[in-house]
Amino acid sequence: MVKIRIDDRELEVQEGITIFNAASEAGIPIPHFCYHPAFVPEGTCRMCLVEIEGVPKLELACSTVVRDGMIVSTQSDRVRDGRKGVLEFLLAEHPLDCPICDQAGDCKLQDYYEDYGLYESQFSEVKDKHDKKVDLGKHLIHDQERCVLCRRCVRFLCEVTGTEDLGVFERGSHTEVNLYLDNQVDNNYSGNLAQICPVGAITDKDFRFQTRSWFLEEAESICPLCSRGCSIQIGYHPGFSRFSLPKRVYRIRAKTNETVNGYWICDLGRYGYRYLDENRATNLKARDSQSRIQWDAAVTLLSEKIKRLYYMKRTSRITVILNSALTNEELYLAGKIFQKDLTDVNIFFADAAPESGDDVLLTSERTPNRRGALELGFDLKPVDMDILSSQTDLVIIFGTHILETHSLSDLSNAMENIPAKFVLAPHTSDLDPMVDMVLPSTHIAEKAGSLTNIDGLVQSFQSALHPLGESQAEWQVLVDLGKELAINFKFYGQFSNPKNINREMGKEVPFFGK
Amino acid sequence: MLKHLGFFIEIVKGSIITIRHFVVNMFYHILNLFGIKTKRRGAVTRQYPEAPIQLASRHRSLHRLLQRDDGKPRCVVCMLCATVCPSECIYIEAAEESDPEIQKVPSTFIIDLSRCCFCGFCVEACPEDAIRMDTGEVELARYGRGDLVYNLEKLLG
Amino acid sequence: MIDTLILLAKIVAALVWFLVLTLYLTWLERKESAVMQDRIGANRADFFGYRVIGLFQPFADAIKMMFKEDFTPSFSRRFLHNAAPFMAFFFTAVTIQAIPFGDVLRIGGKEIKLQVLDIDVGILFILAMLSFTVYGVLLSGWASNNRWTLLGGLRGAAQLVSYEVALGLSLIGLVMVFPSLRFSAIVDFQGDLLFGWLPKWGILLQPLGALIFLIASMAESERVPFDLPEGESEIVGFYTEYGGLKWGMYMFTDFMKVLIIACLLTTLFFGGYHVPWLAADGFHFPWGGQLLLPHGIVILLQVLAFNVKVIFFCWLQILVRWTYPRFRYDQLMDFGWKFLIPLSLLNIVVTAIIMSVLK
Repeated sequence: MVKIRIDDRELEVQEGITIFNAASEAGIPIPHFCYHPAFVPEGTCRMCLVEIEGVPKLELACSTVVRDGMIVSTQSDRVRDGRKGVLEFLLAEHPLDCPICDQAGDCKLQDYYEDYGLYESQFSEVKDKHDKKVDLGKHLIHDQERCVLCRRCVRFLCEVTGTEDLGVFERGSHTEVNLYLDNQVDNNYSGNLAQICPVGAITDKDFRFQTRSWFLEEAESICPLCSRGCSIQIGYHPGFSRFSLPKRVYRIRAKTNETVNGYWICDLGRYGYRYLDENRATNLKARDSQSRIQWDAAVTLLSEKIKRLYYMKRTSRITVILNSALTNEELYLAGKIFQKDLTDVNIFFADAAPESGDDVLLTSERTPNRRGALELGFDLKPVDMDILSSQTDLVIIFGTHILETHSLSDLSNAMENIPAKFVLAPHTSDLDPMVDMVLPSTHIAEKAGSLTNIDGLVQSFQSALHPLGESQAEWQVLVDLGKELAINFKFYGQFSNPKNINREMGKEVPFFGK
Repeated sequence: MLKHLGFFIEIVKGSIITIRHFVVNMFYHILNLFGIKTKRRGAVTRQYPEAPIQLASRHRSLHRLLQRDDGKPRCVVCMLCATVCPSECIYIEAAEESDPEIQKVPSTFIIDLSRCCFCGFCVEACPEDAIRMDTGEVELARYGRGDLVYNLEKLLG
Repeated sequence: MIDTLILLAKIVAALVWFLVLTLYLTWLERKESAVMQDRIGANRADFFGYRVIGLFQPFADAIKMMFKEDFTPSFSRRFLHNAAPFMAFFFTAVTIQAIPFGDVLRIGGKEIKLQVLDIDVGILFILAMLSFTVYGVLLSGWASNNRWTLLGGLRGAAQLVSYEVALGLSLIGLVMVFPSLRFSAIVDFQGDLLFGWLPKWGILLQPLGALIFLIASMAESERVPFDLPEGESEIVGFYTEYGGLKWGMYMFTDFMKVLIIACLLTTLFFGGYHVPWLAADGFHFPWGGQLLLPHGIVILLQVLAFNVKVIFFCWLQILVRWTYPRFRYDQLMDFGWKFLIPLSLLNIVVTAIIMSVLK
C-alpha cells in the first residue's frame, strides 16, 4: 500500500496501479478517450493529463504508476490548459455534425468540450475530408471524420475477439481507422465497438437515426436470450404525450458486470430486442366471449376448472407446459401449485431449441433459467404428445416455444380433444385460436425476480419496463391462482412481490438460500 | 367612516375618468356619424379582416420548413426542436439519404398546431435554420383537429 | 269584456317593452363599455348586409343561444336544474307589472291607467318578487350538484339576503315622506312642487335613501362590483353547469334586474313619469309662463320622460359596472352589514326627526 495525494485528498492505494485507477477508485473523475478498463492502457488520446509535483511536464494518468508520496492534481490551471490544448487538436479535424450524429448526447467530446474546451476556433483552413460512411460489417457504420484515433476498436478486436479486422492506416492528418483488406467486422461481439467508441465514429446500424439518445431512459435488466445472464441496459423511449411511437425499446447496451459479462454483450442480445415490442399479446382474450374479460374473472375461471378436477381426484389429467424463461420465483410457485397442492399433474417443459454457442459469452442454451429449473427439482421433460392428446382434460401452456418443437397440425389435433385449454404467453401466436383463453404475460424485462445462469449464479433484477397493455407477470398470476384455488390460501396470501417469494424459496430450497 | 369617505372620493374620481372617456369618444363618434371628418377617432379599434394588420417582421406565425437548393428539406432531423418544444407538438422520423454530406433527412415531420403555443423555441433551437415562423399566416382556425396537423409537404409549402 | 282586453293589452305591452328593452340593454352594455374603453363594440351582425351599428347583435345572440345544445349534466338534479332559471326569470319579469309608465290616459270616455297592477302594496310586491329570485340562484347552485356551483349559490344567497335588508330599510324613509306603498300615489306626490318651484322628487327629500337604494339594488343585480356569486371570467359560480338558452335566461335575468332597478329608481326617487312643471293640461313654469298642451301630447311626454329616465339609469349602472373593480367577499359583507344598514337606519331616524320638526 502506498500513500498518495490527489487534489488535496489523502489516499491509500495498492502499489502498482495507475493514477487513473487510484483516482477512479476514490471517485475523482479524469477525462479520457482511449482508456478502457478492459484493455491495457495505451495513452494515445492524451486527454487524461495530470500534474504531478516534482515532474516538469504533465503526465498521463492512465499509464503512470503511483509512487509513495506522490502529489497529483487533476484540476489545476496547467492541467486544464493542457486538456484544452489536447481537445483543440482532437477537434481540429472533427466535423461539427452533432445534429446528425447518433452519439450526440452520449459523446465524450461534447462533454469535455463543455468542461475544458470552450475556446474560439483558431482554424481558418478547411477540414480534411474522409469517408463518412464506411460499412464495417453487419451492424456497424464507421465515420472516419469523427474518429479521434483512440484505437479502442482496434484493441477490442485484438484483445477480446482476436479477429483483428481493423487497423490504423496512413500518417498525420490522414490517419484513419479502416478495415484490413476485405475483412468485415462481423463477429458476434461487433456491437460492442459502437458502445465503446467514445465519439460517434462507429455507430450502430440498428440505432442509426432512430431517435436521439437524450430521449431515451435507461433501465437495467438481464438478457434472457441465453443462459449466460448478461447484465444489460435497456434504452427505452418513455413516449410523447401526443404521438405514438413505433416501438418502446430503441437499443440494448452492455452493463458492466465483472462476474458475468464484464463490459460486453453479444450481438444476439444487443440486436435481438425486437421480441419486446413485436407481436405482443396485450389483451385477455376468451374464445367464447366477445366482451372484455378482466384478470380476476379469468383467474377465477381457470381455478374453477382446476378445482373441479381436483375434487374429482383427477389431477393426473391436468397438463402444465412450463418453460425455463420463467424466473426462479415463478418456477417455484408453479412447482408449489402443480406439484404440492395438486399432486400428479403432468409437467413438461417447452423451451427455445439450443443452438451453437461460443467460448466468450454466448452459451448454447437459448433460455435464461434452465439451471434454476433444475435446481428447483424439475426434470425438464419435453412435451409428451400422447399424454397431451389422450390423457388430458385441462392444459395450461406457458409461453409459445411449443410451436418450435411441434408442428401446428399435431398440436391442433392433440388439443382438439382437451375440454379446457389456457395459454399464458407474452406473444400472440398460432396457439391463440386453439385455446379457450389467452392470458397476456410479460418478458423478463417487464418483471422483477431472479434468474440462475449456467454457472449457477443467482442474479436478481428489477423490472425495467412497464408491462404492455393488460399483461401481467406470471408470478402475479400464479399467486392469484394459488389464492383462488384455496388449497393453501395462507401460503400464497403472504406474497406481494418477488422478494417475498424469494425469501420463502430460500428457506425451502437451500440452493437459493445462500 | 373617514376611511369610507376617502373611498367615496376615489369612487367618484374613477367614474369621472370613465365618463370623460365616454363623453369625448361619443362626441367624435357622433361627429363621424354625421360625416364630419375629425383628426381624432372615437376608438382605436382596427376593423381587422377589412383592414389587415401589418405583422412585425419578427412576428411568430405559422411554421415553414426551408428547402435546400435542390428542393430537399434543410432539416437534418437533429430533433432539437422536438426536444425543446414545451408542448411536445413536433414529431419527426428520420430517413437515410444517399448523399454522405447530408445523410439524414426527415421522412415524417409533423407539427400539431392544435398544441403549438407559438413560442418559437423550435426556430431558435434549429442549428440548420431549417424551420422558421415567418409565413405571416395567423388565421389558423380550422373546422377539424386533423386539419391542424401539418405534415412535411404542408410545411415545405 | 273591453276592460279585460285593455288589461291584456297592457300586460302584453308592458312585457314586450320590458323584454325588448332588456334585449337592447345587452347591446347598450356592449356599446357603452366599448365607447368608454376607446373601442367600437359589436358591429358585425348584419341583416341582409345592413349592419346598423350592431343593432342586430342581440337577435344574433338570442338565435345562437336558442340553437346551442340544451345541456343538463348527468349528475345534476334534473328537474330543479331545469326549473331554476325559469324561477329567476319569472320572478324578475313579473315586477314590471307594478311600474306606472304614465298618468291616466283618456280615450273615448275610457280611463286607462298606464300601469298594469296598481296595488296598495306595490313596493312590497316588488321587494317580495325580487326576494324570490334568490331561489333561482340557490337552486341552480344546489341542483347542479357540483360543489363549486353550490358555493357560488350560497355566496349569491348570502349576498342577496344581506343587501335586501339595506334595500328595504332605504325605502322606509321614502315611505315616511310619501305616506303610501302604492306606486301611483308615490308618483303623484312627486308631481307636486317644493317651495313653489322645485319638483318634489324623492331624490330631493331622500338623498341618502336614494344613494343606499342605488347601491343595495346594484348588489341585488349581482353585477360588477358585486358579482361575487359568479364572475364569468374568474369566479366559478352558480350557473357554471348551465349552457345555451338556460344560461341565456340567467344573463337575461341579470339585465332585467338592471332595467327594473332603473324603473324603481325613476319611479321612487326621480318623479316617475313626471316632467318638471308639466301638469295634466300643459307646462306651468314657476316664473309665470305656461304652455298648454293637448292631453295626448302630455301623456306622450310623460311616457317619453319615463323612458329617458329609465335609460339614463341603465346607462349609469352600466357605467358603474365597467368602472369599478370587484369587492372582496368580506368587504362586501362588511359594506352591507356595517355600513349600508347603519346608514339606512340613520336615514330613517333623521327623516323622522326632520318630519316631526317640520310638522
